[in-house]
Amino acid sequence: MPGCHTGQRKGAQVSGAEKMHSRNTDINSRTLIIIPAHNEEKNLPGLFRALKNTEGDFDIIVVNDCSDDDTESVCRAHGIKVISLPVNIGIGGAVQTGYQYALSHGYDIAIQLDGDGQHDPGYIPLFIKEIREGFHLCIGSRFIRKEGFQSSRTRRIGIRFFSFLIKLLTGFEITDPTSGYRACSREVISLFAGDYPKDYPEPETVVTVLKNRLKVTEIPVVMKARENGASSITRIKCLYYMVKVTIAIIIASVSRRRVVTECE
Amino acid sequence: MSNTLRIVLITGSVLFFVFIINMVRIKKLELKYALIWLLTGFGFVVISVFPRTVFFLAGMLEIEVPSNALFLCIIFLLLLMVFALTVAVSRHACRIKKLIQELGLLKAEVNPSECAPADRKKDQNLPE
Repeated sequence: MPGCHTGQRKGAQVSGAEKMHSRNTDINSRTLIIIPAHNEEKNLPGLFRALKNTEGDFDIIVVNDCSDDDTESVCRAHGIKVISLPVNIGIGGAVQTGYQYALSHGYDIAIQLDGDGQHDPGYIPLFIKEIREGFHLCIGSRFIRKEGFQSSRTRRIGIRFFSFLIKLLTGFEITDPTSGYRACSREVISLFAGDYPKDYPEPETVVTVLKNRLKVTEIPVVMKARENGASSITRIKCLYYMVKVTIAIIIASVSRRRVVTECE
Repeated sequence: MSNTLRIVLITGSVLFFVFIINMVRIKKLELKYALIWLLTGFGFVVISVFPRTVFFLAGMLEIEVPSNALFLCIIFLLLLMVFALTVAVSRHACRIKKLIQELGLLKAEVNPSECAPADRKKDQNLPE
């Protein structure tokens, strides 16, 4: 299914008058906001309000990763399009579903934004600007200006380690490879729609994009501590996280592939 | 080897063999995956009927104690089988993920969520 609507791209021009969640998404819109959400009924309304006050022309899709709470009806009540997955497949699978949607509907830019209220939608126009200037992936980094929520000390050490590893393996400096606030161009959308890691995908996908010789940039963002709910990375999972992501980064750095096909 | 042990082993391995064939017969086991088990069962029968084969194998590999030769072979076989299973599980996980995604996307196409207020009400009442 992904890839079969690529011809629609020609007609994709910003109409200006069309605001968010327009029905005829295929023709009039170019930017899609992908919000992966798992049990985020408390955080989503605030996010939707903030998105409505954000300037720019974009559509929104929430990927509801089989939440136990009212995430789906909250989205519906706000008139936001939602993809509800019948079984929980993890953040990576949910985000990938968003990219598949973006690809099949011919979006030029996809911006991934966490549903937990950590990411301020106010940066969306800045992300769009970077992608329009020719970057393929733009990451919102907490550590350029070092403002706002900086995560715990142990996590910062981990993030710095991943930065170092990426620099070592690709030669590029990425200050916040774990950031889930990022914008993608068409090339990266189709790359991610075809292949995306299941869990803790962020650092690994940066390397994949870099290895495909696509241009990556970062913009400074201020993140908030999450409002409600718990982070997906608990202390017990921390070791697994470090080991898995380290190996994933190394493997991603030795595989140079442009066109990816998943499960043959 | 005592005759009693031999009889127990032969009976056991024959029963195992019959059990697997029966599982395939009643379609609880796919023949594709049962082949390796049929082979294993057949090997058990051969070894219990002709225990000398193990001695011969041990001699060939220059392993002093025949049981060690047997352990080596069985552990090797088990590792192979577990690895094959891990590969199969990974493939299935990948396919299932793809199916879930496709289903989610299709559901969103067929049943657009910008729904009428009446539907919304119904949805909100559901969890109670």
